[in-house]
Amino acid sequence: MRLNRVLAIARKNLRSLKHDRRTAGFLVLMPLFMITIFGYTFGGNVKNISVDIVNLDLAPANESLSLLIVDDIGSHETLSIEHSYQPGQAGDGQVAASRERVKDADIWAAIVFAPDFTEKANAALEALRNGTTVIPSALTIYIDGTNPNIVAAIVNEIQRSVQVVLVTSGTSLVPPIVVVPSLEYGQGAEFIDFFAPGVMGLAAMMVTFMLSIISFVHERSSFTLDRLLSTPVTEGEIVAGYALAFGIVGLIQSVVILSTAVLLFDIVIEGNILLVLLIIFIFGVGNQGLGFLLSSIAKNEFQAIQFMPIVLFPSILLAGVFWPLEAVPELLQPISYFIPLTYSVDGLRSVMIRGWGLDQVWPEVTILVVFAAVMLGLSILGLKRRR
Amino acid sequence: MSAKGIDERSTGISRTRDGDIDAIRTSKLRKEFDGLVAVDDVDLKVGHGLLYGMIGPNGSGKTTIIKMLVGLLKPTSGEASVLGERVPIKANVENIGYMPQELAIYPDLTVHENLELFSELYSMDGETFKTREKELLSIIDLSSRRDSLVSQLSGGMRHRTSLACALVHDPELVFLDEPTVGVDPELRAGFWKYFSDLKSKGKTVILTTHYMDEAVRCDLVGMMRGGRLIAEGTPDALMNEAGTKDLESAFLVFSKKVVK
Repeated sequence: MRLNRVLAIARKNLRSLKHDRRTAGFLVLMPLFMITIFGYTFGGNVKNISVDIVNLDLAPANESLSLLIVDDIGSHETLSIEHSYQPGQAGDGQVAASRERVKDADIWAAIVFAPDFTEKANAALEALRNGTTVIPSALTIYIDGTNPNIVAAIVNEIQRSVQVVLVTSGTSLVPPIVVVPSLEYGQGAEFIDFFAPGVMGLAAMMVTFMLSIISFVHERSSFTLDRLLSTPVTEGEIVAGYALAFGIVGLIQSVVILSTAVLLFDIVIEGNILLVLLIIFIFGVGNQGLGFLLSSIAKNEFQAIQFMPIVLFPSILLAGVFWPLEAVPELLQPISYFIPLTYSVDGLRSVMIRGWGLDQVWPEVTILVVFAAVMLGLSILGLKRRR
Repeated sequence: MSAKGIDERSTGISRTRDGDIDAIRTSKLRKEFDGLVAVDDVDLKVGHGLLYGMIGPNGSGKTTIIKMLVGLLKPTSGEASVLGERVPIKANVENIGYMPQELAIYPDLTVHENLELFSELYSMDGETFKTREKELLSIIDLSSRRDSLVSQLSGGMRHRTSLACALVHDPELVFLDEPTVGVDPELRAGFWKYFSDLKSKGKTVILTTHYMDEAVRCDLVGMMRGGRLIAEGTPDALMNEAGTKDLESAFLVFSKKVVK
């Protein structure tokens, strides 16, 4: 293998990208777009869920717990109160009307405080202090259950608010058991920190695979491959040149994603950035090999594009990019372990969130190196086969 | 290529220049695709410094022979040697140039970048390439378009670029598959002048063509039909043997003989 020929092939591919401004722009902007959109969509909490509040609580204003809760809800962004009906203004008719609005999907939920809400709550607190039991007070939420995320957000917000009011109004009792989570890693980590390594792996995979399969199908269909093979360049040098060029493209993308994630979303990188880039590079090279390999089965660009969903969907869904592998159905989990993206994302997370070094992520790195080596080896063999 | 490779190469040339070994020699060269015979036991012998033209209709096996000779296809049976090396060759591939029938250059690179790529694949040093590029660009009359993307060039210009890519490393032997298809008459004349120049420098040129009037300019003509070499000789000898005034009619005469 001669380096000058490897570099010639790599340079050829990078030069093509340089002249094709739109593709080059796409390669930089796509990961930027991905991390920004995904970051804002998944990173933030659900906000401004429209609700009605029907407060029938008859307690005097200075004693009313329901008013405190409503105030607290109003001071947060999760729920957006469309109509708030105060005690005295509202009756059972208003409950029915707001439920109707839920059914018509005008609002997501109607939160109803019963007339005896404060009275019962106080009685229950009193009973707790005395060691007796009574039926606790309740507030009822009529929810449109179409979207489980929204349901969870509404219920959590109201529970949180109730808790706050009970504590600040000094009526709360100390719970008998306190659970103390003590984080070994990821103190202060938000969902975006979990998510950014996943997007980096995914972007690197999408682009190196796509570039490689499309350019190589074109190389075959336009017979430039024949011409290359009639020169002294070897099959191995062609594959290495491609891997180098598209590995570099993957690296540039990772830098874009990392900088965006740090600048825009304030993510924390605990480990060594060079190790992060190394993992991406090896992974990119592997996917380049995969694209190369599949390009020999595709007869034209159109057929090449058909491989993209086949390769991308299982990876997106099963490799732990958006949710942990534990959330993947048990039946499908074995597949997850055959998807290289799984190890890439896992390794990246360990470095970026746990701050691990090569001494700890070597299993993932080894698997990725094997993946890349097998893909490149098979690509070379495929090229060497002559009719 | 190692130093050893270069030695092999130079000895290869000196031997061939002695005239002991033909530039190309095939013996019962055969290629079948899924049982279909594309090249049918062809025996070829092309000496050094000759302009050899293969003529024949589409599908007569011309391109398949060339692809076997440059190592892109594996013969089903028979043997072939190029510059004294049995195919598939890798040892003295530096001495061979190949222009495929499809233009096979990179449309999203400039003329210069295409030429440079091939010069690098042949491990030419930068200075040699610079001089060579200037010379070639003036021959193909594209000096002013050196930095244009190939995709922005006309068909004829792309053709010339493709030819230049095959010749950038100044090879001993060039295979040109249909080099003049779709090339306008003026440029075609220019090409032929350049082919004779190559020949006069001792290079061997093997080309295929549809145009019988072009084939007359070759030293030797091989007529192909149905994968077989039906006649071979100088254009004059072929016309004499067939008793015709032009190669086209001669081809028809030989064609009929084979059918009988």
